This record gives sequence, C-alpha cells and structure tokens, in this order.
Amino acid sequence: MSLPQAALVFVVMAPGGVFGLLALLWLFGWVPSERVLSRITGMAFAACVFLLAALLWTLAATGASSVSVTFGNWFAVHEYRFPLVLIVDRLSLPFVGMTIVLSGLIGQFSATYLHRERGFFRFFLLLHLFAFGSLLAFAAGAFDLLVAGWELVGITSVLLIAFFDQRPPPVENSLRVFAVYRACDIGLLVGVFAMHHWAGNASFANGMPLITRAQATVVCIFLLVAAAGKAAQIPFSGWLPRAMEGPTPSSAIFYGAISIHAGAYLLLRAQPLLAHAPVASVCVIVIGIVTAIYGTITGRACADAKTSLAFASLTQVGVVFVEIGFGWRSIAVAHILGHAFVRTLQFLRAPSMLHDYHRMHSAIGGEVSPTGKHLEDLLSDRTQQWLYRWVLDRGHLDTILDRWFLYPLLQLSRLFAKLDGVGRSAGAKRRLDSSISMRSPAEQGVE
Amino acid sequence: MIANAAWIPGAVVTGLAIGTPWSAAVLLMAWRQNARIVGFMAALVSAAASALLLLAAPAGESLYEALMLLFSCLTAGAALMIPKRDCDSRTIGGILFLLGATLLVYSSENLLVFLVGWILSAIPFFIRSWFRATSWRPATALLLSILALALAIGIIFRSGHAFSMDSLQGRSPGGTVAFGLLVVAVIFRKGICPAHAWVADAAEGGPAIPTALLLNGHFGALLVARLILPLFPSTAGNFFPVLSWLAIATALYVAIRGLTENSPRRLLAFLALSQSACILAGLESRTSEGITGALVHWFVVTVSTMGLFGVLRLLEVRFGENLTASRHLGLAEHAPRLAVFFAVFGLALVGLPGTLSFCSQDLLIHGTLMSHPVTGIVVPIATAMNAVTIFRLFARLFLGRRRTGFTHMADALPRERWILAAGVLFVVLGGLFPNALVALQSTQAEVVIPLCLRASHSRPTTNPFTTDLRLSGFDGRHADVPDHAESSRSFLLHWWIQRSWRDARA
Repeated sequence: MSLPQAALVFVVMAPGGVFGLLALLWLFGWVPSERVLSRITGMAFAACVFLLAALLWTLAATGASSVSVTFGNWFAVHEYRFPLVLIVDRLSLPFVGMTIVLSGLIGQFSATYLHRERGFFRFFLLLHLFAFGSLLAFAAGAFDLLVAGWELVGITSVLLIAFFDQRPPPVENSLRVFAVYRACDIGLLVGVFAMHHWAGNASFANGMPLITRAQATVVCIFLLVAAAGKAAQIPFSGWLPRAMEGPTPSSAIFYGAISIHAGAYLLLRAQPLLAHAPVASVCVIVIGIVTAIYGTITGRACADAKTSLAFASLTQVGVVFVEIGFGWRSIAVAHILGHAFVRTLQFLRAPSMLHDYHRMHSAIGGEVSPTGKHLEDLLSDRTQQWLYRWVLDRGHLDTILDRWFLYPLLQLSRLFAKLDGVGRSAGAKRRLDSSISMRSPAEQGVE
Repeated sequence: MIANAAWIPGAVVTGLAIGTPWSAAVLLMAWRQNARIVGFMAALVSAAASALLLLAAPAGESLYEALMLLFSCLTAGAALMIPKRDCDSRTIGGILFLLGATLLVYSSENLLVFLVGWILSAIPFFIRSWFRATSWRPATALLLSILALALAIGIIFRSGHAFSMDSLQGRSPGGTVAFGLLVVAVIFRKGICPAHAWVADAAEGGPAIPTALLLNGHFGALLVARLILPLFPSTAGNFFPVLSWLAIATALYVAIRGLTENSPRRLLAFLALSQSACILAGLESRTSEGITGALVHWFVVTVSTMGLFGVLRLLEVRFGENLTASRHLGLAEHAPRLAVFFAVFGLALVGLPGTLSFCSQDLLIHGTLMSHPVTGIVVPIATAMNAVTIFRLFARLFLGRRRTGFTHMADALPRERWILAAGVLFVVLGGLFPNALVALQSTQAEVVIPLCLRASHSRPTTNPFTTDLRLSGFDGRHADVPDHAESSRSFLLHWWIQRSWRDARA
C-alpha cells in the first residue's frame, strides 16, 4: 500500500475507529471527561486534515487524478460481489476535505457550546460516527459501499435530532425524519439492485456501469428519489424544519453542509448515467426549480433563525439540483463547497444572531434596510395573504403526505388490528383498542 | 481441525448435545436448586457438542450443526440473562427441555424423530401453569401444526414406505396432499398470514424469554429447508411460490400492523414475524443471493430478537410490566446501557450498516427482487416500516421526560451486560467481517439451489412466461429458473396456463 493509499484509508477509518473505541470503553464503564473527549476529537481530525493535505500534495505532484484502495470484496455470493473499494478523485476529494474540515471545526465549537450538557459524550460519539458515514459515502468506489455510508449518515442525523431527548417534540420529529429517510432509501436500494441486475455491478471505480438509455432512466429515477429524500427536495421537504430540533452544531454540519448535500453528491456521482437519461435529467431540474422557489418563499415567513436558514439551504440545494440536471458538474461542486462553508458559519452564529445585529446596528449607526420589499410590491394583497397562509403550513407538504399516505396507512393498520382482535376475549379486545392510537403523545397531551 | 474432529462418533456427540439439557431438566424438577448454574452448564455442554459436530460436518452440509450451536449458545445466554424473578427451576427446566427438543429436530434424519422433536418442543407451551398465556390461539396454532405435520408424515410413510429423509428425497411421497399438509404446518408454526396472530398473543401473555426461544427455533423455515424442498422438488416447483407470496404478504401485513401497536411485547413479536417471513421469501427466491441472505438473516433475526426480548424483560422487572409505546417513558435516563443494547439489536434487525443484517438484507433484497421483480419490492418496504416501528418503540420506551414515579433502578448488571455485549459483538463483528458466515451459508445455498432447480426443470421449459421473461432480459445470473419470476399477471392465471400447457404437452 503506497503512502497516498494509506493516507486515504486512515482519513476514512479514523473517525470510525475513534467511535468504536469510545463506544467500547463506555460499555466497559469508562466515560472520558469533556477535555479528553475534545482533545481526542481535535487530534483525530487534525491528523486527518494533515494526511488529506499530504494526499492532495502527492496527487498534485504526480499529476494523478485519483487514488483508490481495493480491499477485495466485503462479501461475495455466486457472481454477486460487494466490492470494498475506496476512491478519491476530483469529485470526491472536495467532499472528503469538506467533511474532515467541518467535522473538526464543529468538534472544537461544540466543546465550548455543549459544555456541561448532559449529552456531551453522546454528541461527540455521534459526530465521529457521522463523519465516518459521510467519508465512507463520499470515498466509496461503488454504490454498494455508498449505501452503507448513506445509512450511517441517516441514523446519526436522526439520533442527533433527538439529542434533547427529555423533550417529546424533538423525539417525535426525529421519528418523522427517520420515516422519510427510510422510505426514500428504498429508491437507493432498488436503484443499486437495478444496476447490479443490468450491468452486473454497481462500481464506478473503473467507469460507470454500462446500461442502455431506458435502464439508465429507471436507475436515475430511483436514485433521484433517494437524493430528494436526503436533500429535502419537494415533495419530501417537510422534514427539514423538524430537523432543526437538534443542537445548533449538528444542524450546522448536517443541514447546512454535509448531509443536505449528500443527495447532490449522489446525483453528481451518477451524472454519467444522468447524461444518458434526459427524462431523469428533466425530473432533476424540475424538482430543483420547484424546491428553490418553495424554499425561498417559505423561508421568508419563518419566525426563527435556524428554520429560515434551513429553508435558505433548501433553496440553494434546489439550485444545485438544477445545475446537476443541466450537467454543469464543476459549477455544482463549487456551489456546494461555497454554500456549505457559508451556511455552516451562519448556523453557528444563529444563537447569537441578535447580538450580531446589535453590533451591526451600532457599527452602521442605525437599522439595516429591510430586504424583500421589491418582491412583495409585485404581488397583490390577496396573493400575499394567500401565499402567507400557504407558507405558514409549509406549503401543505406534510399535510398532503399525511392525508394521502400516512393516515390511510394507519387506518389500514387499525383495520388489521381489528381483524387480529377477532376471536380474542372481550377484555383483551378492550386492551387492544385502548392501546392503539394514531395520535402522537404530544397530540394526546400526555407529556 | 475438521479432519481431527472426524473421528468423533456423531451419534454420541449428538446424543450428548440433546441428552444433557433433558437430563438437566429432569434434575431440576427433582432438585430445584441452583437453576441458573445448572441451566447454563447444560446449555454450555450442548454448545460444545454442537461445536464439535460443526467442526466435523462436511462443507456445504453444516447448516443444521451451525443452527444447533446457535440455539445452544442462545439458551446458555438466556439462562444467564434471565431475571432473578423468572429464574426458577420450572422455567429453566422448560427452557432446557425446549433446547433438547429443538436440537433433536435440527439433527434428525428421520421423519418420525422429526415429528417427536416437533411435538416435544411445543409441549411446555401447552402447560398453562408454565406458559401462562390466556389466549387460546398459541396452543391451537401449535396443535394444528402438529396435526398437519403428523398427518403429512403418515401419508408420506404410506406412500413412500420409509421414514428416512435420505431415502425419500426427490420422490414426492404422498403427492400434493402431503405437500399441502406440510405447508399448513409451516403456516401455523411460523405464523404466516392468516395464522399470524398467535405469535403476538404468545409474546404478550407468555414468559418473554422462553417464548422468544420458541419463536427463534424457526421450525417453519426448517421444515421448508429440510423436508419440503428435498422431498417435493416437483410439487414445490408448482406450488412453492404460493408460500413465498404468503410470506411476503405476511412481512408487509405485520409491518403495517406494527405501525399502530403500542404493546412492546406484541410489537417485538410483529417485528420478529415480519423479518422472519423474509427468510421464507429468500429461501424461495431460488437464487444464491436470496438463499444465502435468508440463511444469514436466520442467524441475525434469532440473535437480535432474543436480545430485544431479553432487554424488554429486564426493563419489565425493573419498571413494571405495564410498559407501553403510547407515551414516552424516558427509561434511558435510568438504564442507558440497556437503551444502547436495545437500539443496536433493533437497528441490527432492520439492516443497520456495520451489522450482519446489512449483508443479509442486501442479499435478501437482491435475491427476492431478482426472482420477484414486482412483489420483491415488498421486502425493502416492509423492512423500512419495521425500522420505523423499532425506532418508535425505542423512542417511546427510552426517550422523553424521565418518569419520577420510578424508583431508581440499576442499569444492566454485569451478568446481563456481558451476555448482551456478546450478542452485540456477534451482530457487529459479523457485520464487519461477514465473509466467514456468508461463505458458509453460500456453500449451503449451493446445496439447496439444485433442489430448486430440479423443481424448475420438472416444469415445461418453454412455458410462455419463461420465454416472455427471458426476452425481457430477466435471465442473466438467475440461471434457468425464472418461470415463477413475478409478472403482473395473477397467480391463478399463471397456474392455469401452466396446467393447460402441461396438459397440451401430454
């Protein structure tokens, strides 16, 4: 294994190793102090940044476009292979670098921000697992391995939304986000299966799988479902404001920077396929445009800073989708990088936004002139009122999903419960009926 | 190592594996002391004997030995983990009796012995003072499965004049009637729709850990792998997809059913049922990926559901038996380690990356989608719903505001912690290095597939469905078995065309 390859393996595996070690030690009863934890985190990510810089330097010096490490197959059955290949190329290198740098920064920020918080250890544990999942997804040499990292990002995201676990709303919202993630991930699983089925593999380390135009369209549509779910694109945007229940540092890194762009990365990775699938490209563009418009309108009516920032992110990611749909790959990558860093900064400053405004007002000697007037002037009062009602319910997206999908499913579940109850004793049936509720605990006023 | 172990007389070691727990059960009935130690030691002896059998087994024929080892280890773990409140000589004696009967079924080569083991494994669940479930369904379902199996074996003997499985292999003894009765036995024992409700009733009313052991014997899947496929290749070829569709339907039905269930025990039963139904679907997929995935998933479901039921029982003895998923209980504050064990086992059941189920689910989904492009999509959908259900249960039990009404209770005790940690290590290390287990099961799949292929070859090779699907490109790595690959046409139409085609050829 050459030096760049060793560096790549270390960069990807280090957060996972730290997570595993800390989890094991916790299981044995050892909980590190805040100082030890933040130092371990700082050292791990600093080492990763250093090695990634060395890797970049080597690539620049040798003129190579990519570095890959093959570990063989994770498992293999008959002709089906799950290749364990890590790769950094011109697409994945910026994403890997962004993940390492931002994770390290968030780690340092959180050491102060979450000082004496009861979930301090849990936060850092999940931060390492998230970084590992993201790096695995971005450095994967095949869609199979990307799925593994993708799922890890999802589960850590959900667990961090429920970080303030003593309050029911974050917990219930995390459940909702988890449901959307899992539903959309079906698209990724089926898309990868389709690639295996038609091309015999889902590896992109040696070029994309060779499939026909119709097959590429089908695969891309499935991948688009997964990407739209992860990037909170229409019609799955309803989970994004719910995800703001998590602590600010996790909101910054997940929904300002890395997780929200994972969907865009998936589409960028599948771009060669997308180029052969004009129908899918049009779908990407349409979804991006609609989301961008939805995000910018809805964000204007948000009352809290984090949610308005989340919708601002949504708007930018919608624009990134449009760029990907048109095949402007370099522009999309540059857009993602710039947006991720700026948005992370904005999220991290969100808790002190009032303080910042006061400082700004002091500096300029008055209030900042309000923006958006020009858009409002173009619309009639009636349209403005209608739009306001529309955005207050976040474009009715959750209502539509609830009414057309969730409630019928729950009704079906209740019907099945009644069918199961046939033949049971009256007491058991009463217990069954009283135990089944479609409403969340918050709605029932239990908490 | 295998060569060194080859000198061991298999019958003696098998007798040791089965006889030790039974002897210990008898001992406990008489002595009634140190039940935990006796139970653990007896299960440990069974595990050691099963390990020897596994080492001596030829490659590709070690599935049942591996299952014996797994079940013995599970029982040993259960004997250590079972809460003090439940740890009396009757409970441990029943568990040991169940272990002996299960190992008898796993190791039997004879239909009569198989039937005896099947009956013995159910006997503790007919004893009201031991099982304690008030519902009539579990006993009825078990009884019906026994009756169906006994009738099937009777018909098989009448037709085949033998009890030996080897001598009956491929002869379809008893024809469609015997096959149908075996399928009925599978449906009742495994809890396939519409006979699924007894599993939840048993989990809710019965003792948690022994019931989990009963469910994790997976006798339904065993019957398919052990009797139906080898003995009835031609009949299975025609009618086996019905069982597969029922299994897929069960996976979805139970997954939907779990969405509004609030009783933790019933919820876990639904999860176990839904995931274990996927095992049947994988076995029927007749692809290497599907069968290997099903066999690996068998191990995952067994360990994970045992862990989940174990953690739930530990919570019940600490915080009361009226736990519910209808409100937040905030138990993570009281028992953080139990919360983590529950989360890992739960997520390991539904395909968390880094656990063994990620591999098994990956293979299962590929296998079922390959053989059933339309209905196969149900497997990932059901798994996604199960994931939401397990997360909901975790969130309601462990998260939320801390209940001040609870007395402060200990987290996982060292004894419980080590056993649960061993389970977690199995699913995690198995997930990180899955090749050993996957290769083992893959070899087993290579043994099973010819049986399925034989079943396919017994059908007309120019079946219009086959032609249609091959033209559509659905052959590839699926060998020549896609006759039953899913199409949008209904099963009845499919069946009717097949019969007409066969009649026309005749």
